[in-house]
Amino acid sequence: MKAVCWMGKSKAEVHTVPDPQIINPHDCVIKVTRTAICGSDLHLFDGYIPTMESGDILGHEFMGIVEEVGPAVKKLKRGDRVVVPFTIACGSCAFCSKNLWSLCDNSNPNAHIAEEMYGYSGSALYGYSHMYGGYAGGQSQYVRVPFADVGPLVIESALPDEKVLFLSDIYPTGYQGAANAHIEPGDTVAVWGCGPVGLFAIASANMLGAGKVIAIDRFPERLKLAREYCGATTIDYSEDDVLVVEALRDLTGGMGPDSCIDAVGMEAHSGTALGAYDSVKQALMMETDRPFVLRQAIQSVRKGGTLSIPGVYGGVLDKINFGAAFGKGLKMGMGQTDMHKYMKPLLETIEQGRIDPSFMISHRIGIEQAPDMYKTWRDKQDQVTKIVIDPWQDVITA
Amino acid sequence: MSEKVAEAVNTARTSFTPLPEAKQVGDHYVALPNKSEDGWVHAHARQTIQAEPQALYAMWSDVEKFPLWQEQVVSVTRTGAKTSHWVMGDPEDEKGTRVEFDSEITEDVPASKIAWATTAGEVEQHGEVHFAARRDGRGTVVTLIQHFKIGKLANMAAGVAKRSPKQTVIEDLRHFKQMAEAGEIPSVKGQPHGPRGISGGVKEWMYGETNATPVGSSEQV
Repeated sequence: MKAVCWMGKSKAEVHTVPDPQIINPHDCVIKVTRTAICGSDLHLFDGYIPTMESGDILGHEFMGIVEEVGPAVKKLKRGDRVVVPFTIACGSCAFCSKNLWSLCDNSNPNAHIAEEMYGYSGSALYGYSHMYGGYAGGQSQYVRVPFADVGPLVIESALPDEKVLFLSDIYPTGYQGAANAHIEPGDTVAVWGCGPVGLFAIASANMLGAGKVIAIDRFPERLKLAREYCGATTIDYSEDDVLVVEALRDLTGGMGPDSCIDAVGMEAHSGTALGAYDSVKQALMMETDRPFVLRQAIQSVRKGGTLSIPGVYGGVLDKINFGAAFGKGLKMGMGQTDMHKYMKPLLETIEQGRIDPSFMISHRIGIEQAPDMYKTWRDKQDQVTKIVIDPWQDVITA
Repeated sequence: MSEKVAEAVNTARTSFTPLPEAKQVGDHYVALPNKSEDGWVHAHARQTIQAEPQALYAMWSDVEKFPLWQEQVVSVTRTGAKTSHWVMGDPEDEKGTRVEFDSEITEDVPASKIAWATTAGEVEQHGEVHFAARRDGRGTVVTLIQHFKIGKLANMAAGVAKRSPKQTVIEDLRHFKQMAEAGEIPSVKGQPHGPRGISGGVKEWMYGETNATPVGSSEQV
């Protein structure tokens, strides 16, 4: 089969590799019908996530048709149309039982590596480094899915792939970002980053009763989506005289937003001196992440407010004003998404027509175009918001 | 302080639920075996497992099924009520190194404790496993303690599973938990990938893509 492989920093290539087989009794193999590139794949592409190796198959957002099931699979059957959550969970450990699916005890074969870095290991992920399990990803024509009766969500309705594909990660991830913000009716919520997760966080904040959502980015096409599809008030931080902390104060009657959501994470962009400082330190491996948004969010949020972090962080941060967080009595929520908790209820919001997630798709491509699109998106060219891949076509011309 | 404020403060002070009486004497942590000395490695691992002590005790007692969840056990044969013969090595490498020994159960407390020691063979080791229901009802604490004489067994663990004896104890208990809870040992052995290059190829064993991993399921144990 064809698969998009990570071949080193800033290098993705399509290779023909053997088809995946059933390895464990609870596995299934899925024929992938649609897959997507995630913003967090750019952290891999840029070489900021340790324990990636040449040849690793990328991709953790995918859906398809069940091709084969292992001997211990009871519910899922060949021919089922499924969306697969990017976190792999066993469904029976203490954490899965507490709805903390992204913290599953039993899915990571390389838990010992994560234990060295983090103390304890979270769940495994598809195509997201060996520390996170080393499972082959889904930017490929077929993919092996462990714990087939636990993860895959069967789509019974005739909704097209493009409307349900984002249940594999970014819609639930944006939703958990909003849920972790503990929004009370009428609250003002600020969201950094109007990429796919940020846009879903804005849409979800509205669903959860926010009175006003303020969206922060620098790309006009993204800010337009935030205004027109999600009803947000937008701030372009790259405009002259715009200071984000001040803008948020001005837009909240001098009080600050009730909740701040960091949908950017470890590779924040900043035009300031501190931003340059982070880029240099990150390049020299003196810090792993550039936490510019996190600093701004801590500064901006109102006293006693909530900080929610769906943006990915990998390691050691520098110059975080923890005193501000303490002094203002902030609450924080963060982490990988507990996918299995959100997929079914969020599918219902799509079926009810409350949201059509396909609004953010900017590029539809074939598998051979994927390597170039990684570069295009990384360099923020061609107004990319979301890239969807049909792995069975080499090239799609728009 | 105004009367109103004073009253509010007083209400807040008195509205706390009083602390419950202490019900038991607390514990003080004593380190479990974690050293190497005089030619011995002393190691331990501890996990909470979502199952009853009796069920876990039964699973551990069924020694002939160890190969289903422990990757460096080739076979175990019962030779008596308390004795068994063990063959260890890489089950997938028929010509690979094998280490054989006899083992005897030295203490057996149903649903609570099993202790063992080697009696004859190429290696010397003894150990014990404890099963105790958590007081908070959140599963069973399983504690595995092993003492290895440095030599063939440690070398074998290093050779087959690419692990230190201490990490072997941790991984053995992790795999026991995974089999008990999830019904299988998670594995990426044999999955497809693109060209590894030199450095990626060297590291494949470290990432579990080449070393043996049991593919047994809960229906067999």
